[in-house]
Amino acid sequence: MSATPTIAFDPARCDGCGDCMRACASAKSTHGNTAQSRIRIVHDDEAGHWGVAQCRQCGDPRCASVCPAAALAKGDDGVVAWDAGRCVNCLICTAGCTFGGIAFSADEGHVVKCDQCAGAPQCVAACTRGALRYVTAAKLYNRWGELEDLFVPGLGGCQGCNTELIMRHTLRRVGPNTVLATPPGCIPGMGSVGYNGMLGCKVPVFHPLLTNTASMLTGIRRQHKRKGRNVTALALAGDGGAGDVGFQSLSGAAERGEQILFVCVDNEGYMNTGAQRSGSTTYGAWTATTPIGDSARGKAQDAKNLPLLMMWHGCEYVATASTAFMEDFYAKLEAALDASERGFAYLHLYSPCTSGWRFPSASNIEVARTAVETNFAVLWEYRREQGLTLSRDIDDPLPVTDYLKLLGKFRHLDPAQIAHIEQHVAEQAQVLRELAGMRSREGKRIVCHPSDSMAVDLDQ
Amino acid sequence: MNEVVEKTGLLAEPAGKGVVPRTDAVTAKKEPRILVCDGNEAAAWGVVLSRPDMVAVYPITPQSSLAEYVAQFVADGVLDAELVEAEGEHSVLSVLHGAALAGARTYTASCGQGLAFMFEPYFRTPNLRLPIVMSIVNRDGITPQCVWGGQQDAMTVREVGWVQLFCETVQEVLDTIVMAYRIAEDRSVMLPVNVNHDGNYLSNGIVRIELPDQAEVNDFLGTPDVNWHAALDPDRPMGVDPLTGGATGPGPALFVGYRRGHCEGMQNALRVIVEVHEEWARRFGRRYAPLVEEYRLDEADHALVTIGSMAGAAKDAVDAARDRGERVGLIRIKTLRPFPLDAMVAALDKVRAVGVVDRAVSYGWNSGPVHQETLAALQHCRHRIPCLSLIGGLAGADLTQTHFERAIAETAKLLDAPCPREPVWLNAEDR
Ligand code: SF4
Ligand code: SF4
Repeated sequence: MSATPTIAFDPARCDGCGDCMRACASAKSTHGNTAQSRIRIVHDDEAGHWGVAQCRQCGDPRCASVCPAAALAKGDDGVVAWDAGRCVNCLICTAGCTFGGIAFSADEGHVVKCDQCAGAPQCVAACTRGALRYVTAAKLYNRWGELEDLFVPGLGGCQGCNTELIMRHTLRRVGPNTVLATPPGCIPGMGSVGYNGMLGCKVPVFHPLLTNTASMLTGIRRQHKRKGRNVTALALAGDGGAGDVGFQSLSGAAERGEQILFVCVDNEGYMNTGAQRSGSTTYGAWTATTPIGDSARGKAQDAKNLPLLMMWHGCEYVATASTAFMEDFYAKLEAALDASERGFAYLHLYSPCTSGWRFPSASNIEVARTAVETNFAVLWEYRREQGLTLSRDIDDPLPVTDYLKLLGKFRHLDPAQIAHIEQHVAEQAQVLRELAGMRSREGKRIVCHPSDSMAVDLDQ
Repeated sequence: MNEVVEKTGLLAEPAGKGVVPRTDAVTAKKEPRILVCDGNEAAAWGVVLSRPDMVAVYPITPQSSLAEYVAQFVADGVLDAELVEAEGEHSVLSVLHGAALAGARTYTASCGQGLAFMFEPYFRTPNLRLPIVMSIVNRDGITPQCVWGGQQDAMTVREVGWVQLFCETVQEVLDTIVMAYRIAEDRSVMLPVNVNHDGNYLSNGIVRIELPDQAEVNDFLGTPDVNWHAALDPDRPMGVDPLTGGATGPGPALFVGYRRGHCEGMQNALRVIVEVHEEWARRFGRRYAPLVEEYRLDEADHALVTIGSMAGAAKDAVDAARDRGERVGLIRIKTLRPFPLDAMVAALDKVRAVGVVDRAVSYGWNSGPVHQETLAALQHCRHRIPCLSLIGGLAGADLTQTHFERAIAETAKLLDAPCPREPVWLNAEDR
């Protein structure tokens, strides 16, 4: 079945005028009273904006599954249709739907719901603010849904690993005019460069050394540019290839301002080779080389803060992102791609590792989200002109222990270790808060890159 | 340097602008421009004439002035190339890997500890079949701390799979760099080439040389474009260097295929090196023995084997010995990799004893590396002849005519007495 259309609502554009409700009511009811509208615009006082109560035409509709009379069913056109002949007026469907998409109408004497006006929804036509759009479901979930997936199906990742998600979405967005570097680690291990002649990727891709990804991309990008071609030089690297043994070439390329988009998929260790410690492994974590024993209890040092180190290189763009916050990730990917046309762009993705961190394969996104909600991983963004900004509020985090308890690699922690982690997380958050508010004495935002006036204009 | 640039008139006629296709004949031969320079500057001029797309540099003694000259030429617009001032030799060669995989003609230079630091990508370059040209301004190894000449660097990496050429003179350095691109980019070769010139001796010794005409070099080299080899091009996506090997499946056979192809490329290089040197002689009037130079081997009883710049002083010593009536000659190895077995056997077959002078040591053999190469070649000679190891010129030590006279005398002893197994350390008594 192909993707079906649905009605999408953008709260940022809605000003609560109610035109959609009037249009719906006059199309669908005899009285034209907005109480009869199948779409309801309501003010969300807590969030401070308008919201919508409306049928989402769910793929697996709860209304239909709870209906004892089989009066509701998803059709091939994507619409969940109500059958008056079967309906027994029990109203159980209204309890099943969590979106307020189906409700009892006293005037009609039965439940009513949106039928998308047979492909020409009147509410969308009436909305002059552009808050309502009639789009395919794929576009709703991912506005790059129509872009080509540039990895082959069947990449060989671990069950529950979100790296494949990162790879597919990154390359889909960056597009086919790309040369991709995947240094040794999980990503080539999944088959990006292929095994014995079977290529895992639809763009030119190569296996740099673990140590020289950014240097090789330097040569590729510059040579194509010399030939008048604007080819994206993209790295999908692990934390070892970025921040440990790969750091020299990364740092050199960033300092030179090479036009590279470098994505670090940070799973906090050498997970592809059996879960050994890296410079990104956090304090106290079990790894194969920081084991638990009578005289050792996991890693004895805190992780190096690689994205902050990259920020001080004066990169064009640096950001941290997480697969639990995909819209934020997309926006940052977009910004990073744009910045890589002007200079070095670095994107740091926190990427939980099901096997190396020891948690059930179904919980990857939950782990990723909890890391952010506890400030264990903070989402921020650095742009040359704006400095560092926090991507979401970090002032009211969940307890760090909410995160620690999810992961087997922290199972052994004693109270002193937990206290150390709590303090470190609080300190990192404070550092970022202060960096985000950094001002000069004149009140100007301080950004960490050399003054542009130092650039020499050779034409003058 | 700007003075030299102005004198040669190259500023008015920047290199790299406009591609001249290779033709069969050179019509009007121009008067060569004369330069007074050292081997590092000569190498840089060789780079200018070869018009690479990308040059990546990092300084290291005694190569540093070469990097400086190239950077200055780029700054002056004499060389139209991308210049990458990378943060170390490891990245220098890695940048060129990327560039070459995107279709660039490339150049860099290194030596000694820099080469050691570069080893990881260096190891990989020939296996990727990248036609990169790189000067090694030969330097001895530490420890003890030493920033002076010696060939320990190049000798240590001779099994990695690069073509290795060793120059005797400053003029040969320039000429060989240009020739190296023809060799590296030949489709039957497609391998990186090291052009070696001795640190201190050649890198800093100033002499008078001829600068070939740019248009004539353009004609000799053809279009500076190896784009047919560009593997990382979004217009034709492919994967470079997938995981290959393993105990079962197609892996081992695939791996053998790569290795054999590399070996074939090396063997093809022997023919190409000869052809390119021949064409160079025809076009530019300077003839160098491409593989093995035979110097005064006519009616010789014994000979020295040398490599690199030491051959100059050695030839003087041979001349002096000939004047005294000694029937001695010299065999100079220009091409060490691929090893020119036939040419070497032909030369060795002409004498009854040889003394091999090395500027490097081979730990565990208690001799020099070229000595071992010569011993291996002797296996294919008609007669078994004695072969003495002599080691000198380490850490930039002078190898004078006097040292070579001693080397000749020690080699002459082999005609009547058994060959010692210990090497002769030529500078051991120097004060
Ligand atoms: S979306 Fe269309 S069908 Fe649904 S309530 Fe509005 S006008 Fe009626
Ligand atoms: S009524 Fe509710 S549960 Fe049923 S399809 Fe619409 S949104 Fe889904």
